[in-house]
Amino acid sequence: MLNSLFFILVFPGFLFVSFFGLVAEYVDRKIYARLQNRVGPPWFQTFADFIKLLGKEDIVPCEANARMFGLAPIFALSAVVTVFLYIPIWRYDAAFSFNGDIIMALYLLTIPTLAFFIGGWYSTSLFARLGSVRCVTQLFAYEVPLFMSILSAALLANSWSLRDIANFYSLRPAYCLFNLLGFAVSMVALLGKLEKAPFDIPEAETEIVAGAFTEYSGRLLALLRLAIDIEMVVGAALFVAVFFPFALALGAALGFIVFIIEVLAVVALLSLMRTVVARLRIDQMIDFCWKYLVPLALLQLLINLILKGVLV
Amino acid sequence: MGLIKKVVTWARIKSPWILHFNTGACNACDIEIIAALTPRYDLERFGVQLKGTPRHADVLVCSGPVTRQIEDRLVRIYEQMPEPKFVVAVGTCSCTGGVFNGCYNVRGGISSVIPVSAFIPGCPASPKAIIDGVAKLLASLAEEPKKKG
Ligand code: SF4
Repeated sequence: MLNSLFFILVFPGFLFVSFFGLVAEYVDRKIYARLQNRVGPPWFQTFADFIKLLGKEDIVPCEANARMFGLAPIFALSAVVTVFLYIPIWRYDAAFSFNGDIIMALYLLTIPTLAFFIGGWYSTSLFARLGSVRCVTQLFAYEVPLFMSILSAALLANSWSLRDIANFYSLRPAYCLFNLLGFAVSMVALLGKLEKAPFDIPEAETEIVAGAFTEYSGRLLALLRLAIDIEMVVGAALFVAVFFPFALALGAALGFIVFIIEVLAVVALLSLMRTVVARLRIDQMIDFCWKYLVPLALLQLLINLILKGVLV
Repeated sequence: MGLIKKVVTWARIKSPWILHFNTGACNACDIEIIAALTPRYDLERFGVQLKGTPRHADVLVCSGPVTRQIEDRLVRIYEQMPEPKFVVAVGTCSCTGGVFNGCYNVRGGISSVIPVSAFIPGCPASPKAIIDGVAKLLASLAEEPKKKG
């Protein structure tokens, strides 16, 4: 009981993953700035932002549905923190694990998007509603290739449990090479999930102010931003666990450090991708996902099915 | 309590998010404000970020004299910002009304409508002056609790 509480609240749960999320946001912003030839924010920037937002006034617009408006950030945050508990970061073990947790992890990663939709919709501001509708429209485009490419890696490993998948690939590192295409597809899809350029259509600040977050301020905004940061870390950690779980074979301490470095490398790759591209229109984004990403994900599925017949 | 207050003040100084609002400027001041936000001056070093909505902003950066048409909207934007909030008036016009002072359609400087924390004169104020003004405003935040205590 106490053990579980420690897992959930301290490590690898809420406290650790919040800290890690803020650090990852800093890495992302710093790399973004360096690539634009800027100095970039100091190391404490994300912590200062978070604390400042906590200390600000909370405004709930009188038109808004106060309960839904207040609950949405909490739903988003708790869903993403839960996913991290199921990702194997320590030897071969996750804090919790059962057969089928990869499906649950993918579904829980969908909840923040729905929470943003609900929060934006119930704040009744026009900009927020436009942003939240775009959020959900985008969801239908990137979710399918993301699921397919991650699940095809699971197919090759012959398991629906993250722990067993990580185990399988760390014992046979060469198999990871077969999943490179799937990794590329899911990286692009993750950009859509995190609402980063070129898929930052839902919060396009030059068109619709701040999208679903327009009416949020103070503590609720701090929770929303934290949820997005943690979503980034959790997404990256999920990819590391599924596509490159090499760190797990290195023992506890070294393995953990390598795992953190791998996650930050995925975050760095994400910020590189968002620096070199500009925002798409929503219809271009949907076209791109269904015309190119989904066929590539299907190809990955086909490759893994054939491999499964030949190798395993 | 004292420690928490100190940490929050520190965070406030390190992370001012700004909202840029043109209250009737001739556009030159706006160009200089945008110039101050470009990679050349890189305000993100100081934690400054440009936000699109008053709900996220801490500092309202106004340029130009307040025209009668924009007056209500300026007050509304100001009221939409969550506390604690600060207003910076950029350019001579927004400090006093400048060359437009006394026009039939002009109310005067920003401070004739909402409270202003920092005035940055200049026609237009150069990006360096704007950064300097904002930095001085932030520095004054750190001193305030000391004076009281
Ligand atoms: S201060 Fe000068 S540059 Fe700025 S708005 Fe007034 S007239 Fe234009």
